[in-house]
Amino acid sequence: MANSNPAVEVTNLAKHYGDVVALRDVNLTINAGEYFVLLGPSGGGKTTLLRTIGGFHKPTIGTVKLHGQDVGNLPPDKRPTSMVFQSYALFPHMTVLGNVGYGLKIAGLGKNEVRDKSMAMLDVVGLNGFENRKPHELSGGQQQRVQLARALVLDRDILLLDEPLAALDAQLRKDMCLELKHLQEKVGITFIHVTHNQEEAMTVADRIALIADGDLVEFGAAQDIYREPDKGFTASFVGENNVLTGRVAKVTKTITDVLIGEHSVITPTRGLAPSVGDEVTLSIRSELVEVGGKGKPTGGYAIEATYEESVYLGLTTTYLFRLANGQTMMSRVISDGDSQKMNPGDKITLSWRTGAMRLHTA
Amino acid sequence: MSDQKKQGAGQTPGTSSSDLSRKLSTLLFISPLIFMFLFFALPMMFTVVFSVFERTMFWMEPGFTLFAYENFFLSARFNNFLESMYYSLISVIVCFILGFPIAVFVRKSVPQVAQHRVVLLFILPFMVSEIIRVFALRPVLQRNGLVNQTLQSLGIIEEPITSILYTHTGVVIGEVMSFLPFIVFSGFLAMEAIPKYIFEVCSDLGVRPLRVFKDVIIPLAAPGVFAGSVFIFINGLGVALIPNILGGPGAVNAGLIATQAIVALDMPMAMAISAIMTATLMGLLFIGHKLFDITKILSPAS
Amino acid sequence: MENEYANVWVHRLKWAYLLLIVVTLMSPVLYIMYISFNEYGFGANRYSFTWEWYWLIFGDRILLQALKWTMLLAVSTTVIAVPLSLIAAKYYRSTRNKLLPIFLLMSPLFVAPDIMGSALLVYFKNLNRVFSWIGEQLGTGMFDTWFDLGFMTTLIGLIIYTVPYSFIVIIITMGRYHDQQTEAARACGASGWQAFRDIEFPQIRAGVFSACAFTVILCFNEYTRSSLLKGGFDTFTTVLISEMLNTGMSEQSYAMSSLVSFVAIAIIGSIIIFTMIRADAMTRQARLKENPVGS
Repeated sequence: MANSNPAVEVTNLAKHYGDVVALRDVNLTINAGEYFVLLGPSGGGKTTLLRTIGGFHKPTIGTVKLHGQDVGNLPPDKRPTSMVFQSYALFPHMTVLGNVGYGLKIAGLGKNEVRDKSMAMLDVVGLNGFENRKPHELSGGQQQRVQLARALVLDRDILLLDEPLAALDAQLRKDMCLELKHLQEKVGITFIHVTHNQEEAMTVADRIALIADGDLVEFGAAQDIYREPDKGFTASFVGENNVLTGRVAKVTKTITDVLIGEHSVITPTRGLAPSVGDEVTLSIRSELVEVGGKGKPTGGYAIEATYEESVYLGLTTTYLFRLANGQTMMSRVISDGDSQKMNPGDKITLSWRTGAMRLHTA
Repeated sequence: MSDQKKQGAGQTPGTSSSDLSRKLSTLLFISPLIFMFLFFALPMMFTVVFSVFERTMFWMEPGFTLFAYENFFLSARFNNFLESMYYSLISVIVCFILGFPIAVFVRKSVPQVAQHRVVLLFILPFMVSEIIRVFALRPVLQRNGLVNQTLQSLGIIEEPITSILYTHTGVVIGEVMSFLPFIVFSGFLAMEAIPKYIFEVCSDLGVRPLRVFKDVIIPLAAPGVFAGSVFIFINGLGVALIPNILGGPGAVNAGLIATQAIVALDMPMAMAISAIMTATLMGLLFIGHKLFDITKILSPAS
Repeated sequence: MENEYANVWVHRLKWAYLLLIVVTLMSPVLYIMYISFNEYGFGANRYSFTWEWYWLIFGDRILLQALKWTMLLAVSTTVIAVPLSLIAAKYYRSTRNKLLPIFLLMSPLFVAPDIMGSALLVYFKNLNRVFSWIGEQLGTGMFDTWFDLGFMTTLIGLIIYTVPYSFIVIIITMGRYHDQQTEAARACGASGWQAFRDIEFPQIRAGVFSACAFTVILCFNEYTRSSLLKGGFDTFTTVLISEMLNTGMSEQSYAMSSLVSFVAIAIIGSIIIFTMIRADAMTRQARLKENPVGS
């Protein structure tokens, strides 16, 4: 790709529906050839953002630039994007081959060329031999692959995917995730993928943007978002984090003293700027909380909690506890046979290192 | 939704042609509304204006007089009008009693795929000209008509029944026969909003049929039934043919009065009647809209 | 899914009631058809089957002429009203303020035919006067007869009458269509018009054709508005009615009415049968969906 511009630049984007604000001041840059995921809770605006990039919504404020060009209010058919939808988007009255070749036909290619290209793309997505089927004769996974073929055969620079795996069952979803990632690596174009499922996001993404309640909360590589979330919301949405609320007692440039209940906890300020008396949150990944230690570890904290219940998920087991001030905490471990037996109501000590905590002001 | 559909212009300068095509396509999309406004809304609104014009020998002159209204309200015509309202109302009630259970039955007990087809059965009579159906009732209801002949040959009666034609009863029968399908349609359409599982849930919970009817069906079907009833009521008032052909000597309804006025070249009177009917209709629709949102009828699932 | 408890007889009773009502509603028409085949006409005590009256129709020039006009009106109305309803339906689906379109498009249903006819008649005549007056001022006679009572005024009246019906049919058909398909087509590069032509229309085609059939039948059967607005020529229904009112129903009239009814019933009957066949095909498809071939 000779174009050195980023694939997508979204500047000051806002979308209003009357009084309802679907998107609020979004600024985002997506690089060419990247697999970018828009992650977030339902109704939070990620689909709105995707569809605005695709040309299905008109921005209320702000601009969208694709490969350096301001696309203004161009309709979807005039943008360098193609799209894969959640469901119901295959043309039921056409065969698989007809579906895949539709865009090429519209573009004016000759019949033979259309057929050759479509067949080649069907091969790429693994649907050889299916060309004469009708959509209703395909399973969910197969239908999504037809959509992919239909979108990719157009050879456009940006592929938009709107919750493409939502209608599939869990195992199929896992398989398709990997397929999508391999496909993107093979084809090399920019993929922008919307989902509310974290696992999906982390499997496929180079970078993830978290969108909730109309705001772009945070973005970055999967690892960074997971291990070092910047915003409190990110911590509460991605991974299984403990999120404790407390009040700032003292602030210095390097450390902040937070009061959680009666416990005073000292945590790195991390470049934030809280004021004394502010309400802040601390996040601790549940897998970094140890259960039943013998008191305070060096360079860490311990707290007394009451055991409530455990959730067994096969690979991991999560233990749920309640603190004296009513807040909850959890600890997640790899399940093993001789895990300690605890009874509801037992008083257990929970401990973690200082480095495991992250301060969040927002 | 795709509010992009109608727009085609980017923001590159100098694209006045795509601006034009955007304006043209917007125009295209509202052309039906413009047409309806010009040739329906406007004429109906003008009936009010024309009704206060002064009557001349062959037409009317612009002016302002309430003569037509006085003439109407203070004459026997007004009593006839009220009477026809009364009988229309009876027709509506009869239609409801006879027809609504059918709509409920189809919705509840007929397999989903067949439902539309069964409702289509009720389009059949409607496909025959309204006038033919009304006229066809004469040979059926007459002294020596089908009904009487059958009843007599079955020995149920000895003398032919004469009270079913050229009377108010005849008019009601005519209205019911003409408009019953509409209660079935509108009731059914309204109940498409009721998913079938509701009936199953109710029978699971052991709710007695009457309560199901009262608490579930009536509220959900109400907008549709109301619309259907208004349709039947207004048509009962307005279709001149029915009292003309089936009614007795004094039977008139608003439609007949209006047509007679036109024949007599009393245009302001005809307009006054139209205006009154339109006002009645507006009033009923307004009440309906306040009570339930009528737009729901067409998109029950949304 | 049907209730499987022991009330089979109640179910049957309800079906019987339904069919009874349909038959009762149809009975006058059926009776007319019965009469139309009788050599001895109405009211006679003897009955002898004959096609005589039907042959006579084709010799009745007035009737045929009227039929021709009605055909012309019906086709013209369909050609204008159905596309109008289609456009209106698309607009309705995509706009947020739905009250105004519904009001404008559906109100004609609730206005009695006589009232609508009278209002339009007076409106047109006055429009003519206004236009003539403007023409006088401008020194031209070219505006004089735009809205004379005649073909065009009848056409307009019929369009107003039928638009609500075809609108409803089309909206209901569109209800099964997923707008995502249009979006997918746009994403493939199709313009709005191309997406409609290639993707949406094939799927709503049945509804559009039903609307056309419906409209033709409605026009054929319409009396009141046509009679008020038609001016000089006669339509099928007006000839029939004037005959009935003046000379009493002739035998040809019975035959004619029956003929038109036959045709109408045949059309609707075939639509019903056609949708039955499609419904069967669709249940077969649905069953296939649940057990897809391979995975």
